[in-house]
Amino acid sequence: MKQETVHADKVQLAYAGILSKATTLGIILVIIGYVIYVFQLLPLSVPIDQVAGNWGLRASEFHHKIPLATSGWSSFSQAEKGDAFSYITLIYLGTVTMLCLAVSGIAFLREKNMVYTFFSFAQLAVLIMAASGLISGGH
Amino acid sequence: MGLKNIRAGIVPGVLATLLFLMPRFAFAAGAAPADTTAWWMWVLGLFVFTFLLGIVAVIAGVGGGVLYVPIVSSFFPFHIDFVRGTGLLVALAGALSAGAPLLRKGLANLKLAMSMSLIGSMSSIAGALVGLALPEKTIQLALGGTILGITVIMFLSKNSAYPEITKPDTLSKVLQIYGIYYDENLKKDIDWQVHRTPVGLILFTIIGFMAGMFGLGAGWANVPVFNLVLGAPLRVSVATSVFVLSINDTAAAWVYLHKGAVLPLIAVPSVAGMMLGTKIGAKLLTKVHTSVVRRVVIVLLAVAGLRALLKGFGI
Repeated sequence: MKQETVHADKVQLAYAGILSKATTLGIILVIIGYVIYVFQLLPLSVPIDQVAGNWGLRASEFHHKIPLATSGWSSFSQAEKGDAFSYITLIYLGTVTMLCLAVSGIAFLREKNMVYTFFSFAQLAVLIMAASGLISGGH
Repeated sequence: MGLKNIRAGIVPGVLATLLFLMPRFAFAAGAAPADTTAWWMWVLGLFVFTFLLGIVAVIAGVGGGVLYVPIVSSFFPFHIDFVRGTGLLVALAGALSAGAPLLRKGLANLKLAMSMSLIGSMSSIAGALVGLALPEKTIQLALGGTILGITVIMFLSKNSAYPEITKPDTLSKVLQIYGIYYDENLKKDIDWQVHRTPVGLILFTIIGFMAGMFGLGAGWANVPVFNLVLGAPLRVSVATSVFVLSINDTAAAWVYLHKGAVLPLIAVPSVAGMMLGTKIGAKLLTKVHTSVVRRVVIVLLAVAGLRALLKGFGI
């Protein structure tokens, strides 16, 4: 019987390291943000009842009707509001993979693996493009 | 034996009938008059529901995301835009949490994931944009058809634990897609390589589009493509699928975030419930009959798919 051997290379271990830390931080932030939101520890941009009364509307109609600070980067301008803060913690989840790709891109570059240096940074560029809101017409 | 079979058939059957009828007088977002239920009851209900969904999803061997969107959009009063946005975050959070141990054990392969997800993530952005632009009825129809298709795939698919690839294709060699992992069942190292890489790229483009359009995690499609088309071992396919999912869902999630199709009020209890449920489900995995649970999931999906189709037809 063979002893278990780990076959993860350095890049995978680097990716795993940052992924683990960034995800744990993300989960903690998301929970803290939600507690602040629902217990109204910070003032809200829109009362929760009003959000619940309209969550059956299309997203575009919803935001047309209610000025809730939860749409793209514009939420940062109202970060002192509980609902915007909770939303920002969800935005953070969207940045975790980007952080990991930046780390893997640098690690591949150090190994002089140009194919996957390209893949890492090209992938990162696609995600940055999506995050910028340029493609989706975000705020 | 006969009794067991009857019981295994009755449980999903009764569940299906109840679920199909229940929304007409219990939830039914579209049909109900003004909703007088307190918001916190919906949120609490969503947390409990996703917690149970998380348990069932792990035991049935599917990602939570694929169950979340059709079922929650059928039985809760939220618009499908918000359900899809949340579905992506549910799948993303699950993938992020599961990722690190899979990479450290060498089960997930970053090169295999990256080579497929670059094009997949672009198509998932396109899918999200199309999905948010289409009328609700069209989305319900397409979602219903897709979910029923997934039900058939789940019902028919037979995975191959250790596919034998005698000749890797040229593209996979250029992209350095091969590897080795320690198999705990066989107690030995398994070398693997892949073939039909160009076909895989085309299929991942389609999968990415659908994942973005419907807010579904795409493990249901990633795993069979890695395993049956490319020929990666099942364990490598399942683990690597998590990374493709984390990249593709991140790309699509940004579109939903920018379009305002994510409400923290709904998203956080869903993510928390699903993550907690999958942890409990993983512990129960060895103690329950997975085949019965899998049958229940197939029935749940079939009912949810059928309800989405009916909604799409305005029935």
